[in-house]
Amino acid sequence: MEKQTGRISAIQGVVLKILFPAGNGLPSIYDALEINRDDGSKLVLEVQGLPSTETALAVAMGPTAGLRIGMPVVNTGSPIKVPVGQCTLGRVFNVLGEPVDAAGPVLAEKFSPIHQASPLLYNQEPTVKILRTGVKVIDLIAPLTQGGKSGVFGGAGVGKTVIIMELIRSIATVLQGLAVFAGVGERSREGTSFFREMTESGVLPSTVMVYGQMNEPPGNRLRVLLTALTMAEHFRDQGKDILLFIDNIFRFAAAGMEVSALLGRMPSAVGYQPTLGTDLGEIQERITSVLGSGSITSMQAVYVPADDLSDPAPATTFGHLDGSIVLSREIVEKGIYPAVDPLASNSRALDPRIVGQEHYDVAREVQLVLQKYLDLKDIISILGVDELGENDRLIVSRARKIERFFSQPFFVAQQFTGRDGRYVSLEDTIKGFKAILAGEVDDIPEPAFLMAGNIQEVKARRESKQ
Amino acid sequence: MTQPTFSAQSITAGLLDQIQAFQPPAFTVHTVEVLIPTGVVIGFSDGIATVKPNKVGEVGFEALVQFSTSVQGMVLGLDEEKIQVVVLGSSEGIVPGSEVYSLGKIASVPVGDALLSRVVDVLGRPLDNKGPIKTTASRPMEKIAAGIIERKDVDTPVQTGIKAIDAMTPIGRGQRELIIGDRGTGKTALAIDTIINQKGKNLICIYVAIGQKKSSIARLIATLESYGAMEYTVIVVGSADDPAGLQYLAPYAGCAIGEEFMERGQDVLIVYDDLTKHAWAYRQVSLLLRRPPAREAYPGDIFYLHSRLLERAVRLADKYVIVTVDFVGNLAEQGDAVNGFTYDGPLAKHKADTALKQLDHPDMYRVCKLRGSGGSLTALPIIETQLGDVSAYIPTNVISITDGQIYLEGNLGAAGIWPAINVGLSVSRVGGDAQIPAMKKIAGPVRMDMAQFRELQAFAQLGQDLDKSTQGQIDRGRRLQEILKQPQYQPVPVEEQVVILYAGTHGYADKIGVSKVKEWERELLKYMQKKFSAILRKISEEKRLSPELEAELNAALQNFQFEE
Repeated sequence: MEKQTGRISAIQGVVLKILFPAGNGLPSIYDALEINRDDGSKLVLEVQGLPSTETALAVAMGPTAGLRIGMPVVNTGSPIKVPVGQCTLGRVFNVLGEPVDAAGPVLAEKFSPIHQASPLLYNQEPTVKILRTGVKVIDLIAPLTQGGKSGVFGGAGVGKTVIIMELIRSIATVLQGLAVFAGVGERSREGTSFFREMTESGVLPSTVMVYGQMNEPPGNRLRVLLTALTMAEHFRDQGKDILLFIDNIFRFAAAGMEVSALLGRMPSAVGYQPTLGTDLGEIQERITSVLGSGSITSMQAVYVPADDLSDPAPATTFGHLDGSIVLSREIVEKGIYPAVDPLASNSRALDPRIVGQEHYDVAREVQLVLQKYLDLKDIISILGVDELGENDRLIVSRARKIERFFSQPFFVAQQFTGRDGRYVSLEDTIKGFKAILAGEVDDIPEPAFLMAGNIQEVKARRESKQ
Repeated sequence: MTQPTFSAQSITAGLLDQIQAFQPPAFTVHTVEVLIPTGVVIGFSDGIATVKPNKVGEVGFEALVQFSTSVQGMVLGLDEEKIQVVVLGSSEGIVPGSEVYSLGKIASVPVGDALLSRVVDVLGRPLDNKGPIKTTASRPMEKIAAGIIERKDVDTPVQTGIKAIDAMTPIGRGQRELIIGDRGTGKTALAIDTIINQKGKNLICIYVAIGQKKSSIARLIATLESYGAMEYTVIVVGSADDPAGLQYLAPYAGCAIGEEFMERGQDVLIVYDDLTKHAWAYRQVSLLLRRPPAREAYPGDIFYLHSRLLERAVRLADKYVIVTVDFVGNLAEQGDAVNGFTYDGPLAKHKADTALKQLDHPDMYRVCKLRGSGGSLTALPIIETQLGDVSAYIPTNVISITDGQIYLEGNLGAAGIWPAINVGLSVSRVGGDAQIPAMKKIAGPVRMDMAQFRELQAFAQLGQDLDKSTQGQIDRGRRLQEILKQPQYQPVPVEEQVVILYAGTHGYADKIGVSKVKEWERELLKYMQKKFSAILRKISEEKRLSPELEAELNAALQNFQFEE
C-alpha cells in the first residue's frame, strides 16, 4: 500500500499542522508521522488532532528548529512501535524504542504499539500483599503493596529521587525480579549515575531503562512513559512480576500542558490541559496487575509544583494510588531525612486485616502523638514549653523523639550523610516506636534518635555516651 | 571622608561612558553579500514583525532574518500566509512595506578563544571598545544537551573559596547549583567570589547578564578586572533596555560560547544572572506572539525554557584509547590507538581497562585519555525570590532542574551572618562526590548539624529545659556558625578550610567565647601558616587526611595558644 504523504503547513513551537491534500487520505489519531530533515536526520511526530478533512495536528518528538513550510511528511500508518521482550533487558531506550546506550542494535522479534487498552475490570487482581522496604517511616505508616501503586510526593529538592533510589536498592535487589525504569523529564545526570550504578551492581541484565529527560522537547516527555509501560506490560502478560519505577510522573502531566495550548485546546484550572484527568487515568489504568497472570508493582515519584499539593497534577494523581508517601519541606529544614510527613502519608494497606492489629495500633498511636504535638505548637510558641502540664510536656518530648526516629541513613545517600545505610526490619520498626510510646526511652536525649537504625542503636548510643 | 574607592569609581565611570557611547559597527559579515529578499513586513508592533513571505518554505523555524535597517530577527511562528519575527535590536525604521532578508542560518553566536576577557552582546558583538572579535567559528545558540551515555558522574570540585559552600553545599565541575534569594541578599556576590577564586585553577568563566542595568554590569566588570579575573572570563550582556527577544536568547548564547570550550576538553563555569528576568522576557515574547498563558501568565513551555538550558551543563565522559607503553604524555590522539578503538561513556575507563587485559601482551600497552575529551560546563543560575518565597512557580521549577540550591536569606544577612545561607534549605545533590576526600571527611556531618542547630536554637528560645547533650549541640553550632562567616572578596584556600573546620568540629573552639571565634580563627590560620605550613601543603597536595597527617594536625592544634 502506498504511504500517505502530506506537507507542513504551519509550525508553532513543537506542534505542526500538516496538510494531507484531498484524495491522499488522513492519518488516524496517534499515528506516527515522519519528516526527513535537511541534514538527513529523521523527525517523528504523533498525530493528536484532525481539525479538518485535510489537516492533522501533530506533536514532534524532537527539535523543530530549521523545519520549513511545505516539507513532505510521511504517515507510517501506525502508532510509534517499540521493541518488547527479552531483547530489551539490560538496554537503554529513547521514546522511539531506539537503543541509546551505544551497545549495538536491538534484535527484536516483536514490536508493540505504545498505545494499548488497559486490562478489563474482571481481570483486576483484588488481593493485597505487603512489600517490605526496610525504611521505617514507609513500612510503618504507608506500607507498599506488591502489585500495587505507590507515589512519592514532594516539592523541588525534598528528596523524592533519593527515596525512589533507596526503594530500587532494597526492593529490586531483594525481589530479584525484572525491573523497568522510566526516566520522564528528570535530570540526564541522574540517568547517567543510575545507568552506572545498575551496571556496577550487576542488576543491569534484568533491568530495562527508558529515558526522555528534561533536555527533550515536550512531545518526547509526553510519550516516553508509554514506551516504558509497553515494555513492562509485555513481561506482565507473559506472567512475570515486574517492578516499574517512574521518575517523574508529574512531568508527563506537565508535558501535556506544554503542548495542549499549541494544539488549540482551551486551558483548564491553573493552565493545565482540559484532558488532564483522562490522560492520567488512561495511563494509570494500564499500570495494574492481572488476575492469574503477572503483576506490575509501581513506584512513582510525583513532583509537587510550588509545594502545592492541591495543584491539579498531584491532586489528580493521589486518587490512582494505593499508597502515598508525602515529603515535606518543613521536615527537610529540620535536617530530618527522609523528610516523610507521617501525618500526610497513607496507604490502603494500613488496615488491621492486612498488616495485623499490633502494627496498625502502633502506627495510629504514633500519628496521634504527632498530631497532639502539632496542636500544642501554637500554645508553646506563645507561652513556652514550661507552661504546659506534665502530660503535655511528655507528649512533646516523645513526639520530638518520634520525629527524629523516623530519620534513617540511606544506602544510596552515604555521600551526603557520611553514614552507612540501615535496613530496619518491620518487627524492629514496630518495636522501636512501641518503646518510645510506652516511655521506655524517655531518659535518652533527643539527638540520639537522629539517623539511627533500630531502637537498639539508639540505646547503644546512650551507653557509649556514659 | 577618605576616598579609598576613588580609582574604582573612575574605572566604573569610564567603562560606563564607553558602554553607553558605544555604537556597534554594522554587522559587516552579511552586508558584503548580496541579500535576497524573502518577504515584506505587513505589520509591526511591540517588537514582533509579521512578514508575508515571497515564496512559501524559504525560511526555517527559529531561523535568523535581517531587516532593511540591518537589525536581525528570529522566526518564532510560521504558516503558509505569514511569518512571525521577533526583532533582536532597535525597532526604529522597521515599517510595513520594508523588506526582510533570509540569513540562511538559525540563531548563532561567534565562539572561540578570541572571546576570552571580552564583553559581548547576545549576538556576539563587542561592547567593550576593544576592537572586533577575531574569530570565524560560530555555533547555533540552541542545542539538545548530551544524552545520558555521553556523560559521566561529577567528581571534581569547583573550589568557590567560600567555606560555607565548599563544606556544606559543594559544587562539582559539571553540576548545576542554583543561587536563590531575595534582592540584596548577595546572590551575585557569591557568583563573583567564585569567579575571582578561579584564578590559576584552569576554569574558564562566563557571566551572562540578563535584564540588568548597565551600571551594575560595569561595576561588576571593574571588580573582575581589579582582581585579574577578566583574563579567563567572557561576559555576555542582555541588558535591561535590550529587546525581550535578545534577553530571551542571552543565556543560550552564553551557553553556546561555553560549550565550544567544553567540547575541546576544557572546564567551564557559567553564571546566569538571573533566570527570573529571563522568564519575564520569555513571557513577554510569548504573550506578544499570542501564545496562550498558563500559570502566572507564563506560557506552558516555561519549564522547557530553563530545563533545556540547564541540561546543557554537563560533565562529559572522558574517552580513552589503548596506546603502547612507551607513549609519551597523558593525552593521546585518535591515531595513537593501537587497536583503532575509542572507549566512551560513563564506564569508559572500565571498558578500556578490561579491553587492555584481554590483549595478547597487556604489559606492552597502557590506557590513555583522548585529547579534547571529558570537558565540563558548570552552571550557577541565579533566581530572585519575592519576600523569601522559594516555593513560588519559577523558583520551584528551577530548583526541580538544578542539582541543588544555595538559599540566601535576608534576615540572616541582617543578623550579621555572611554569606547569608539558610543551611536547612540549601543542598547539593552531587554532594560529597565533588569534595576532596579531606573535606568530605570533615564536612559530611556539618550541614546536618547546622540544620539541627537552627531547629534546636529556635526550640530552646521557647524556654525548654535542655539536657546536656542538646545544650552541647547548640554551643557547638554557635561556634560553627561563626567559623562559617566570611566577608566578600576573601576566598579561603581549601587546605585552610579543612584545618579550620577540623578544629571547629573536633571541639578545639568549644572553650572560645562566641564573639572571639573570628579572632581565634585568624590567629589559628596565622599560626598554621607560620609554624605548620607543611601540614597545609600536605593537605593541598594529598587532598586527603591520612591517619598520620590527622595526628600531626591534632598535635599542632593542641599546641595552639589563644589569648582571649
